[in-house]
Amino acid sequence: MPEPLQKTPVLEVKNLTQRFGDHIVFEDVSFNVYPGEVLVIVGGSGCGKSTLLKIMIGLQKPRAGQVLYQGTDITRASDEALNEYRKNIGVLFQSGALFSSMSIKENIALPLQEYTDLDAGAIDRVIRMKLGMVNLAGYENHSPSELSGGMKKRAGIARAMALDPRVLFLDELSAGLDPITAVELDDLIIKTNEALGTTMVIVTHELESIYKIAHRVLMLDKEARGMIAEGGPLELKEKATDPRVRSFFWRQLPEEKDEPRFYAD
Amino acid sequence: MTTPRNKEGRAGYQVSFQKENDNLFIRLKGEFGLKNYEAFTREIRKGVSGHAIQNLTIDFSQVEYLDSAAALAFLQMEEEAASRKMTCRLVNLSAQSKGIFSVIHPDVLKRIPFKPEPTHEGIVQKIGQASLTIGRDFVNFITFIGDLLSALAYTVTHPSSLRGKDVLFYVQRAGVDGLPIVAMIGALMGLIMAFMSYLQFKQFGANIYVPTLVSFAMIKELGPIMTAILVAGRSGSAFAAEIGTMQVNEEVDALQTMGFDPVRFLAVPKVLAALIVVPILTVYADLSGILGGMIIGVTTLNLTFKTYMTQSINTIQVFDVVTSLIKAAVFAGLISAIGCQRGFQVRAGAQDVGKFTTSAVVAAIFLIVVADSIFAVMLYYVKRYGIFA
Repeated sequence: MPEPLQKTPVLEVKNLTQRFGDHIVFEDVSFNVYPGEVLVIVGGSGCGKSTLLKIMIGLQKPRAGQVLYQGTDITRASDEALNEYRKNIGVLFQSGALFSSMSIKENIALPLQEYTDLDAGAIDRVIRMKLGMVNLAGYENHSPSELSGGMKKRAGIARAMALDPRVLFLDELSAGLDPITAVELDDLIIKTNEALGTTMVIVTHELESIYKIAHRVLMLDKEARGMIAEGGPLELKEKATDPRVRSFFWRQLPEEKDEPRFYAD
Repeated sequence: MTTPRNKEGRAGYQVSFQKENDNLFIRLKGEFGLKNYEAFTREIRKGVSGHAIQNLTIDFSQVEYLDSAAALAFLQMEEEAASRKMTCRLVNLSAQSKGIFSVIHPDVLKRIPFKPEPTHEGIVQKIGQASLTIGRDFVNFITFIGDLLSALAYTVTHPSSLRGKDVLFYVQRAGVDGLPIVAMIGALMGLIMAFMSYLQFKQFGANIYVPTLVSFAMIKELGPIMTAILVAGRSGSAFAAEIGTMQVNEEVDALQTMGFDPVRFLAVPKVLAALIVVPILTVYADLSGILGGMIIGVTTLNLTFKTYMTQSINTIQVFDVVTSLIKAAVFAGLISAIGCQRGFQVRAGAQDVGKFTTSAVVAAIFLIVVADSIFAVMLYYVKRYGIFA
């Protein structure tokens, strides 16, 4: 049962702008991430979803704007502060990004050995528990190349969850997975979010899974160079008037455009 | 009632024990998680071990934060208590804590892994594995050479199938871009050799033989070998890494399904480019070696430019130059073939690319030295008795 959304955000994104040379990815994007919620970021290819995610996890510096976590601006934080922040977040990369030279167990053990003072026995138990949570119990000695795409993602989630992060970022959650695996992954996300109360920021294209897992949806657009909609998934589907939002949620090509439209608010 | 704070300013934890007859109450307060896992488990164990108790009750009512690792620790305590015939109850759990306990399945902790942990192999097993690998490697290489030769033959009979642009690209990569380093190292080798031999020769007043030694050594041995080793390091490794990465990205599979022969498509241009480029680079290395020697000759040995050149030219025979170029071409074939073959051996993962790239360079250098020894013996007899003697 999700707790009622508290009003103090975990992450505050303020007036974020990213630009590479003359190419403006997005301008003036602001939103909050509240504790315990599942926030889904959607948008067409090239709208800057992944760039936004990279800025939020401190891998990329924006041209302007702030990302605040507990009062610290992580876009301008020192290396130590950024490392401290990174211990509180977990990231699942698009293809899992498991270290191919290590077994699944070693992959998950890495953050535990590095950032906690647990002894080997306790680490082993925590690894088994995490693998149990993502339904991969028994796979600790497999190497990543021996796992299927969906299993890799689940192992990636187990690694990202190793330190019980407050915020979990998931990039392209169900891209390239078969529908059944995608549903399993959705269920895992819901279960984890409800049981552990982990805040999740997810980038995905899958409409089905958006309806299922999202508490709130943000939509970015390439032409508008920023956010064009925010709200619950069904609310956006039923009530949005913006043709771009409607075409995304109704899976239709946008109607003929006469002129570019800008949505400044 | 405030929660105690530790140094970092984060809320810490407190455990209090209360004993009534054979009942022990443990009250938890504050935050329990990975950060203080060792500390609170030790404290609770210590508190419990001193008493003869029947019932253990752990009260969670004042717990502010609990993570899954801490929950796991409490589940384990529950289990340990049961094994010592004690009852253990976890009470006053918040909804949040209950959620955490609900996703931990104690039975998975005891599940035997589907795959046993890799064990260390004994020495006999290692030797066996290594011999098998070497044998398989050899067969692989011979097969690949066969593939490559048939692809080359096809290219010769169907010249239009050759991807000329690719050949030119690799000519530039392996040749033009490699020229500065080859020329520089050649010049330095010539310079060093001239200087070292001068130190010896001056004792006999035999300075005039320095140009002879430099040009003879450069053209017959050092030029081709040094160039080949440099090309193996620069281009052999690049070939292996390029094809290897294409293997990982399934680009080679894509080629195959589109009906292209990967060897003809990927290896032939590289091999042809190397065959063109390495002899030319060798000539440059020879010339710059002689030039480097000349710097010492003119500045230190009091030889004139003309004497030095005359001496060098008198030493060099057409036979030596031609065989040096043939040698260079053979080295080129070995380097590029082994580079491509190792690339095709990559199966998956970044580590494989690294492994086979290294192996491409090591194997190429090894083969260069072996081929050079064969040439040394063979050329001696060819020169002495003629080819058909």
